[in-house]
Amino acid sequence: MLGSKLLPWDYGVRNLFRRPSRSALTFGGLTIVVLLVLVVVGFIRGLEKSLSATGNPNVVLVYSLSSAADIENSSIPGSTASLLAASVDGVRQGHGVEYISPELYLGTRITTQSLEEPGMGLVRGVTTSAPLVRDRVQIVEGSWPQAGEVLVGRLAHSKLGARDEDLAVGSEIKFDGRTWKVSGRFTAAGSAFESEVWAPLADLQTTLKRQDLSLVAVGMESPQQVADIDMFCRERVDLELKAVAESAYYAALQKHYKPVRMLGWVVVALVAGSGIFAGLNTMYGAVVGRVRELATLQAMGYRRRAILLTLVQEATLLACAAALVACVLGLLLVDGAAVRFTMGAFMLRVDSVGIAVACTVAALLGVVGAIPPAAKAMRLPVVEAIKAI
Amino acid sequence: MSLVDVLNVTKEYANGEETIRPLDGVSLSIEEGDYVSLMGASGSGKSTLLNLIAGIDQATSGEINVAGTEITKLSRGKLADWRAAHIGYVFQTHNLIPVLTAYENVELPLLLLPMSAAERRKRVEIAMEAVDLTSRASHYPRQMSGGQEQRVGIARAIVANPTVVVADEPTGSLDDETTEQILQLLSRVNDELGMTLLMVTHDADAGKRAKRQIRLERGRLMENGKETTSAHLRTA
Repeated sequence: MLGSKLLPWDYGVRNLFRRPSRSALTFGGLTIVVLLVLVVVGFIRGLEKSLSATGNPNVVLVYSLSSAADIENSSIPGSTASLLAASVDGVRQGHGVEYISPELYLGTRITTQSLEEPGMGLVRGVTTSAPLVRDRVQIVEGSWPQAGEVLVGRLAHSKLGARDEDLAVGSEIKFDGRTWKVSGRFTAAGSAFESEVWAPLADLQTTLKRQDLSLVAVGMESPQQVADIDMFCRERVDLELKAVAESAYYAALQKHYKPVRMLGWVVVALVAGSGIFAGLNTMYGAVVGRVRELATLQAMGYRRRAILLTLVQEATLLACAAALVACVLGLLLVDGAAVRFTMGAFMLRVDSVGIAVACTVAALLGVVGAIPPAAKAMRLPVVEAIKAI
Repeated sequence: MSLVDVLNVTKEYANGEETIRPLDGVSLSIEEGDYVSLMGASGSGKSTLLNLIAGIDQATSGEINVAGTEITKLSRGKLADWRAAHIGYVFQTHNLIPVLTAYENVELPLLLLPMSAAERRKRVEIAMEAVDLTSRASHYPRQMSGGQEQRVGIARAIVANPTVVVADEPTGSLDDETTEQILQLLSRVNDELGMTLLMVTHDADAGKRAKRQIRLERGRLMENGKETTSAHLRTA
């Protein structure tokens, strides 16, 4: 019977157009609130995606024991890669090539055409075995770098704070006193590699006058064989090596960014809270002007809960419309926007989780924003309210 | 038993430290088909009595029976359902819903009752025709004159064929010509549709249009110079 005793749907919808400027302002405010929620959730999701996509459980990173968790500070002998190939079983092979990637990894200042000041970039010296180990890497434009050339990730420009065109194939960049030509661009399924610049290892070592490596990445047949490399590192104490599964390495980094993610969720809560106040303000205004009308409905026989439901419906409709517009704006403007962070750069992601959070926040804004003013109006005795001006 | 029986009803409310008692043990009977006008000075309690009979206010003590239901004992929710089925309310300031058309305003009380859309449409059309506003069905309140708005208000009050139509100063905000039209319309509602009508007015001329004229004086109801009693009290 409740269904037959509700006010017509039209009544709630038309009330939204009764005070168009007030509704428009509220709509704008709610849209901004939901968009902000989308941005923050997009930030958290993008960061999580970037770190989780980077770690592969079949890949082991071998680096210096003394560098703690910072590969940039690691220095291991140049012979480590061949030692590993000779000593460890279970290394993956393809077409007679072992999946062992010796790498030199550093953060350095990089100059591009448009940058007045060099930007802080991440450079990785690699050999042709790198794409075998990092199997999500795909060259999407150009070719593998030769001497004096670099391959750039699709977000490398964001990390540098440069324009995308500055790292176009054929353009030149400068770092460590040398000019490098961009030979190609690559993607890596949203992982942190996408913000790096890859140079031929030997060329980079010559430029930097270094013979050591930062790490060796080893592709194993299975995650269980990671223990074999760990055993090798423990036995060869003279090399001072440490082996960590790549997935574990980035999982540890994710923990490092946990406070940032927590802060993000706090911001979501704060933004949503402010939106609720905006909704409350609007609904108080809307209800105060309709006290007599609401009392008339009660005098007619409409129950308080039916009237309350209509007021909630009005606010929720407005909030949901705002959520819809915010999601469209989010997909157009926020999704894919690059953000720099210490590990490189990542893209804001407006995915199903972000949209679900935004829609939930919008629904909360509508419901929580409408109930207190509606309940206040309902508490007024009908005989008084019916003559209210 | 009469259609409406008000038995020894008192209504008190606090105004600061003072207790106001607009109704002090009043009793009244209204028969089916009656047209009763309730007059009195401002603040005499006539609207209070009307609101008690309409079930939108609660008596401090006493009993009110309408069509066999003791409404003073109903819960708030049940009272709302009862109002939907038994009371048609004509307000002084029309109180139409501004975002609904005349047709939709009249239809509003019927949405509370179990009936088909076709039956609703038929009833609304009859009510609109009764107040001679069929041509204004799609107009919004802001597009109508005060008199037209009040006619829509009357159509809304009668559309559900209520047990009692109550009208609280229905001509209070209208000019003389429109007042006359509304009073004629209310008389027709009583004469032609046979509806029981209770009208509160401060206008003696308007009050004389009713079949029975009752005055509220110092918390007591007077009819033809004597204090009224309910049918229950008369037969007791």
